[in-house]
Amino acid sequence: MNQDSSIAVERLGGFAGFGGPGARIRSCGTLQWSQLSSDECQALAQQFTEVTSVEAASRPTADGFQYRITATVDGALRTIVLPEQSVPAALRDCVRDELL
Amino acid sequence: MYRCTCSIVPRDVLERLAGDERFGAELRKAASDSARVSDVLRRMRNESRALLMHDMAMGTRPKPRISEPKVQVYNCRNTTALPGRLVTSPRRSADRTIKRAFEDTTSVATFYREVFGRNSLDNAGISLISSVHYGVKYNNAMWNGSQMVYGDGDGNLFLDFTLGNDVVGHELTHGVTQYTLDLEYSGDAGGLNESLSDCFGSMFRQWQAGQTVDQADWLIGADILGPAARERGYTCLRSMVNPADRKALARQPTRYSDLTPDMDPHYSSGPPNLAFCTACVVLGGKSWESVGQVWYRAMTALGARPSLDMPDFAEKTRQTAEQMYPSQPAVLAAVDKGWRTVGL
Repeated sequence: MNQDSSIAVERLGGFAGFGGPGARIRSCGTLQWSQLSSDECQALAQQFTEVTSVEAASRPTADGFQYRITATVDGALRTIVLPEQSVPAALRDCVRDELL
Repeated sequence: MYRCTCSIVPRDVLERLAGDERFGAELRKAASDSARVSDVLRRMRNESRALLMHDMAMGTRPKPRISEPKVQVYNCRNTTALPGRLVTSPRRSADRTIKRAFEDTTSVATFYREVFGRNSLDNAGISLISSVHYGVKYNNAMWNGSQMVYGDGDGNLFLDFTLGNDVVGHELTHGVTQYTLDLEYSGDAGGLNESLSDCFGSMFRQWQAGQTVDQADWLIGADILGPAARERGYTCLRSMVNPADRKALARQPTRYSDLTPDMDPHYSSGPPNLAFCTACVVLGGKSWESVGQVWYRAMTALGARPSLDMPDFAEKTRQTAEQMYPSQPAVLAAVDKGWRTVGL
């Protein structure tokens, strides 16, 4: 993992429907792999290994947030979607809610 | 509740006893008094039965005796650890968020009990648990499968999520859906899941205010918008009367044909929201009295249908309207109009 490469994070869903096609609110952020703790790096890398598609988690929490995470992993640009409880705190905290 | 009061000793036996001089005066007086009291009790029983028959003919029924579920509020104190610390007297709390969560949750339970005869989310009196002050400036509220969770909002985009009584009704209705249709949270089923929460959340809000369908604003989340959203002219999160309203923070499609399987349920709920709102407005009166009853019966009569699609739900509501209101064709006509408006 290139510690200087960035991770793009977008928070989706919730009661307000962040990031939906008609939504005028979105929640995005970026951070570097180097800003994660070693445990968070390992956990996120594991998620990229186990989650093989962009599909959201099955039976997500009603009105719960999900996070679309895009990063270069093993030389390839990958995107996964995770429920909030599976996302490291540093990634959750890097997003900012804004009006479009 | 009307109870039959049946007497063991028939009146003619009491009268014979009262007139039989082989018995003492005291015993004969007791028999005579009993006969007169029995007469009164029989008249009361007959009048009660007549009143019950009248109520049944009018379409009202005696409400079953249902005890109130326990309502508990926990304070997360701006952490994300659930459920948080139990608040011992939320009704008397100086923290208005805690007090509101308690009062509105209790009120939603009352709404489901009085309007639909439902005993809490599972219809068996399950306790209602809410956690407030979740996270830091958390712009969300949710039902996690076991409880409600409310954030304080960032004070800019959103305010405290307990400020919206439709939000509280919305979240609790996710629990009702879980215990009835158990809809998945994707595809058609996800949109229906979200729509049922908006429909019953809006109905609860209207019921609390005693509003008719014409008095209601049919907006979702109007009370939780922060100053940044209001300054830009937004008035709500979603509009059930006009899902594509540009004043809604999250505009939605208005036709079923506009939906795709991978849509966020908060987006795909637009058409069924509009169908419900249209049916209510066409019929008039109060949303929970007829159309709301149809939606509730359709939600609770099918059992678990995780993958239920919108065409099937629409058909179920039409059938239910016809079955529940056979002598009021206007109800079926309104429900039909609602679904035709969105192309179903």
